[in-house]
Amino acid sequence: MLEVTSISKTFDGFKAVNNANLAVGKGEIVAVIGPNGAGKTTLFNLITGILKPDSGRVLFKNEDITGLSPHEVCRKRISRSFQIVNVFQRLTVFENVQISVLSREEKTWNLFTPSASLAIKETDEILESVGLLKKKNRTTALLSHGDRKVLEIAMALGGNPEFLILDEPTAGMAAEETSRCIDLIKKLSQIMGLTILFCEHDMEIVFGIANRIMVMVRGGTVIQGSCEEVRCNEAVQDAYLGGSDVCLM
Amino acid sequence: MDAVYSIIPAGVLSQVFVGLSRTTILFIVASGLTLILGVLRIPNVAHGSLYMIGAFTAFTVTKLFGGGSAGFWMALIIAPLVVALIGLIAERGMFQFLYEREHLMLLLLTFAFSLIFGDLVKLVWGGEYKSVPVPHIFQGFVPLFGDLPFPLYNLFLLIAGPVVAILLWLLTNKTKMGKIARAAAVDREMVGAVGINVSRVFAIVFVIGCFLAGLGGVLVAPTVSVTLGMDHNLIIEAFLIVIIGGLGNIWGALLGALIFGLTQSLGILIWPQFGIIFPYLAVVVVLLFRPTGLLKSTW
Amino acid sequence: MSRKTLLGLGAGIIVLLLFPLFLPRFYVYLVSLILLYGLLATSLNLVLGYGGIFQFHHAVFYGVGAYGTTLMLTKTGLPAMLAFIAGPLASAAFGLVLGIICIRLTKLYFGMLQISLGSLVWAIVYRWYSFTGGDDGIHGIPIPEMLSSPKSAYYFTLIITLVCLFVMWKIIQSPFGSALQGIRDNPVRSEMIGINVRMHQLLALVLAGFFAGVAGSLFVVVDNTVFPDMLFWTFSLEILIMCLLGGWFTFLGPMLGAAVIVALRTFVSTYTDYWALVLGIIMMLVIFFLPNGILGYVEEKFKRGFIEPEIEEQ
Repeated sequence: MLEVTSISKTFDGFKAVNNANLAVGKGEIVAVIGPNGAGKTTLFNLITGILKPDSGRVLFKNEDITGLSPHEVCRKRISRSFQIVNVFQRLTVFENVQISVLSREEKTWNLFTPSASLAIKETDEILESVGLLKKKNRTTALLSHGDRKVLEIAMALGGNPEFLILDEPTAGMAAEETSRCIDLIKKLSQIMGLTILFCEHDMEIVFGIANRIMVMVRGGTVIQGSCEEVRCNEAVQDAYLGGSDVCLM
Repeated sequence: MDAVYSIIPAGVLSQVFVGLSRTTILFIVASGLTLILGVLRIPNVAHGSLYMIGAFTAFTVTKLFGGGSAGFWMALIIAPLVVALIGLIAERGMFQFLYEREHLMLLLLTFAFSLIFGDLVKLVWGGEYKSVPVPHIFQGFVPLFGDLPFPLYNLFLLIAGPVVAILLWLLTNKTKMGKIARAAAVDREMVGAVGINVSRVFAIVFVIGCFLAGLGGVLVAPTVSVTLGMDHNLIIEAFLIVIIGGLGNIWGALLGALIFGLTQSLGILIWPQFGIIFPYLAVVVVLLFRPTGLLKSTW
Repeated sequence: MSRKTLLGLGAGIIVLLLFPLFLPRFYVYLVSLILLYGLLATSLNLVLGYGGIFQFHHAVFYGVGAYGTTLMLTKTGLPAMLAFIAGPLASAAFGLVLGIICIRLTKLYFGMLQISLGSLVWAIVYRWYSFTGGDDGIHGIPIPEMLSSPKSAYYFTLIITLVCLFVMWKIIQSPFGSALQGIRDNPVRSEMIGINVRMHQLLALVLAGFFAGVAGSLFVVVDNTVFPDMLFWTFSLEILIMCLLGGWFTFLGPMLGAAVIVALRTFVSTYTDYWALVLGIIMMLVIFFLPNGILGYVEEKFKRGFIEPEIEEQ
């Protein structure tokens, strides 16, 4: 479904992403892992149009989407959540998701209908599916960190995506919140049929839910493969464990 | 020289250079503004008022010392220091508590100061024009362009400008304080984390910026009538110069002032009625092609 | 909107409708000014408080609207009603042009380019003596008979202001308004959920320009003059102060700010020449103690009383 070929991005002489490759099949859950600074977020930014690549291509459903601006990428039904919580702080939980839904329905040019009366059902459905329905009227500034990360995902769902990119979805979450989040991701994949690309630092989570893993080191792709292949790959061990002779985990 | 005059009439050259000497004042004030903007990230709308206070203080000091040249030289030293002191009080008393706030708030605070300073000037000095005499050794003219008399004082200004520029460059590039300030302009947190007292650096930079504003005020005083309202026109010109030069860039301020001064002189020569719009037009053109300014900015 | 708020507004409007019958002309003129400055400040707040755009030179749109209307009234023989529309249309068009030029820049640079362009316009108006009256401005502008008395000018201003405020309120409540607030809070996020940020901001600028132009036209009706200071950057900052003082994340804040500033200015000026000093001190107090403005402070105090109850069932 998504194919990224030889993509590169340099910042002021620093090669953040260096000829990276990635392939995600429809319905899969693929994880991108790598040490800090490996370029995972930059890669996501390149795919979603926040950054323009210096070279390389991004194909989505065989359509070239390289260099499209973020809102155009969203229209192709690719949605994403951010690593650092990126929500609308002054608005309520409901309003956050509602804007996403209204945007998808292309109603944001409507100047006269009160938005409070629009898209209530759809927004509630999404809030229900992520478990935030009870807090719908709370201002996001008052939410716990874990809830805000879930809200991120909810906003991404507002666009009715086929492809979901999650940037460190469980970062900073407490244990209980983390397991709820994982259940949510599983549900999104199995029940709602979304294709999911995510990155994480917690290896348990990664090996727990990913179908395939792509390993990034210093901006480049080291390997893309199943959990087994990655676990025992030497280059991966070098990167993480400094060359030890043991399979990961 | 006659060859030059056949291409550009002496009168025009003379006018252009008079305009350039005015540029010196613009540059000195703008350099203070760009320092404050570049290092402290404060758009100091009160800068014009500080300039005005410098001019009025020069008037008082000159009178105190008998109204002659000695007065002017004393004013040249005292007035900028007075303005710098005012700046110090404002920074320690108020600004240092607001660095975490958004630019908008800082901008409005400086605007509040400009309102207050404007009225304080009115309170202390009253509403009429004041004039400051040109110091004795600069009175008179010099036949610089053909036979045309060129005011000595303007010649002084023409020389003073680059001198100040070089001094500032030395200060920011060759002194330890200058280097710290430049680092703090780019990443204040990092500088603080390395153990340097960023707050003190900010105070010093702010004070120097204010000193420059006061200096500009003193220097301009013999050439114009010192009045209320001189702050309003100057501040917008100074800001535009800083913007096209590149925020925080002293050479940018010089370049900007040159562009501004030249386009103004030439503009008035070519089209007297609308001459003053030429600098604004130049600014717009520059910003359309280089929105961050001609030279590197620290933001 | 709650019943209490509606009742309060209703009462306010009734007071506004009736008071010219009891109070002298001067107060009628004053309230007219408050209304139109309030409209102007609210139009700024549309892009500033609700859109997060650093509109540093809003006065330009006000001035363009005022001069546009004036020039139509004095230079052409066209009917006055056309002139009153021409002003706001001119400022809206100007907003579009300015927007297209500036919108590709982020925050501060946007503000600075706007200041430059605005200063250019001011300089042109200031110098073009034959067309715009130069630094004298234009006085004694011919206003149609039925609007020329202070009372009729007032009612005209009142009606137009109320209509415009209502329209702006509707816009903020609409999906466009929601999208705009989203852009204010997080432009990157907004892009990522499919909102074309630049286009939405552009529309906001055009709308703000339009309503500012309406305020400018109203000034022409109320005061029969225009002058270049209306376009000067100091006035832009005053409008900003009105927004800030009243509360720039609230809808009626700017109107309140305008009322406070105009009332204070009139009151203080009878005692002293140093209104700027007073205003400066007030601003400092607001910046330090009331950063969200008067209405912002009131709202916070009111909300702090309880935590949002969780919704148990739909």
